[in-house]
Amino acid sequence: MEELLEQLADILEIDEIKPQDEFESFEDWDSLSVLSIIAMVQSKYKIVLTATEVRNSKTAQGLFELIKNKG
Amino acid sequence: MLFKFKNAKISGVLTIVPKNVVKFDDEVNNYTFSPKQTLKLKKIMGYEERRIAPSGVCTSDLCEYGVKYLFENKLLKKDEIDALILVTQSPDYYMPATSNILHGKLGLKEDVVCMDINQGCCGYIIGLIQSFMLLEQPSIKKVLLLNGDVLSPKISKKDRNSCPIAGDGASVTVLEKTEYSEFVLADIKTDGANAMCLNIPAGGFRMPCSAETAVMKQDECGNIRSLNNLVMRGDDVFNFVMTKVPTQIEFLLKENNMTKEELDYFVCHQPNRFMLQKLADKLEVNYEKLPNNIVEKFGNSSGATIPTNLCYNFKDELLNKTLKVCLSGFGIGLTWASMLINIGKLDFCEIIEY
Repeated sequence: MEELLEQLADILEIDEIKPQDEFESFEDWDSLSVLSIIAMVQSKYKIVLTATEVRNSKTAQGLFELIKNKG
Repeated sequence: MLFKFKNAKISGVLTIVPKNVVKFDDEVNNYTFSPKQTLKLKKIMGYEERRIAPSGVCTSDLCEYGVKYLFENKLLKKDEIDALILVTQSPDYYMPATSNILHGKLGLKEDVVCMDINQGCCGYIIGLIQSFMLLEQPSIKKVLLLNGDVLSPKISKKDRNSCPIAGDGASVTVLEKTEYSEFVLADIKTDGANAMCLNIPAGGFRMPCSAETAVMKQDECGNIRSLNNLVMRGDDVFNFVMTKVPTQIEFLLKENNMTKEELDYFVCHQPNRFMLQKLADKLEVNYEKLPNNIVEKFGNSSGATIPTNLCYNFKDELLNKTLKVCLSGFGIGLTWASMLINIGKLDFCEIIEY
């Protein structure tokens, strides 16, 4: 989870993201963030996510669980 | 589907791009981007400049201009052409085939095979494979492969998914028989179940264009387009490229007992900088070996990005020596096709403006 939070903060260009923070509350959240998450999850965790799955996961916690369930 | 060819080669590549340059900075107000997002997109995706054909100019016009340039500069003789293949998704008409129209405009002899192939992103590889197959016939000594698209009229200016990368362009490639055994290995794969990942819903026989199909609507991501416009599920395309293309390239290398290090370059279709960098990462090759700079200079002209890539990045090398390259195209269809080929000492390799 720690690693995932760091990666997400990187993508969203923020200092820190908490597990319950809503992705859509970030100023920089857009389709490019979604694509960057898809690419990051593929290279780090070897898991293929769709844009809808990433959007529906809503938060870092949601994304973490999605990756866990798909892994 | 694995293909092997010998005794044939590419002898010249010409790329034709429209003079008209459209800059991302000038169009940024069409989309709902903050200034920060704009900067980020330029940096990550490589949005900068793209070439757009003037209204009314079709793919065939760029092709005709290119072939006539070769005739005029004595780089190609009219009577030597035994086959003319046009790979495009933007034909002049439903019927007749645009290759036949070009045959007439170019004044070619009667004894010529003409065919249109409807293919996009990997159209160049499909066209090369078709050309090599034709060259296996005793009566065919030289093939003219035309590949390009002018799809900008079909792309909504308010679709930030597709518009900032779209470019128009065409290419002319000459292939001929050789006496020595030049080796070519290629593979084509298809996933028709996902054919609609990239499509233009209206305009064919299934859904003819009407007043209704021209209505502009906003999608959930804020892109505005009509059913007459091109639509792309970008994430699906990205996932497909990352999972299928490296496997295909590795399969071809193994089939040829070759390592990545033995290849001089990976000359890939150019969808955007981001996808190409991720593809290079996955293939574990450095960015110099897999160029990603075509979208920023010319835009994505579907199949023609590979010849544009060859002419823009490797002109001097390709005129003077032979390179071992992997050509790779991927996208609409979904289709992905790659080719290992020795290419070089070309008669011509340049970009001209229309």
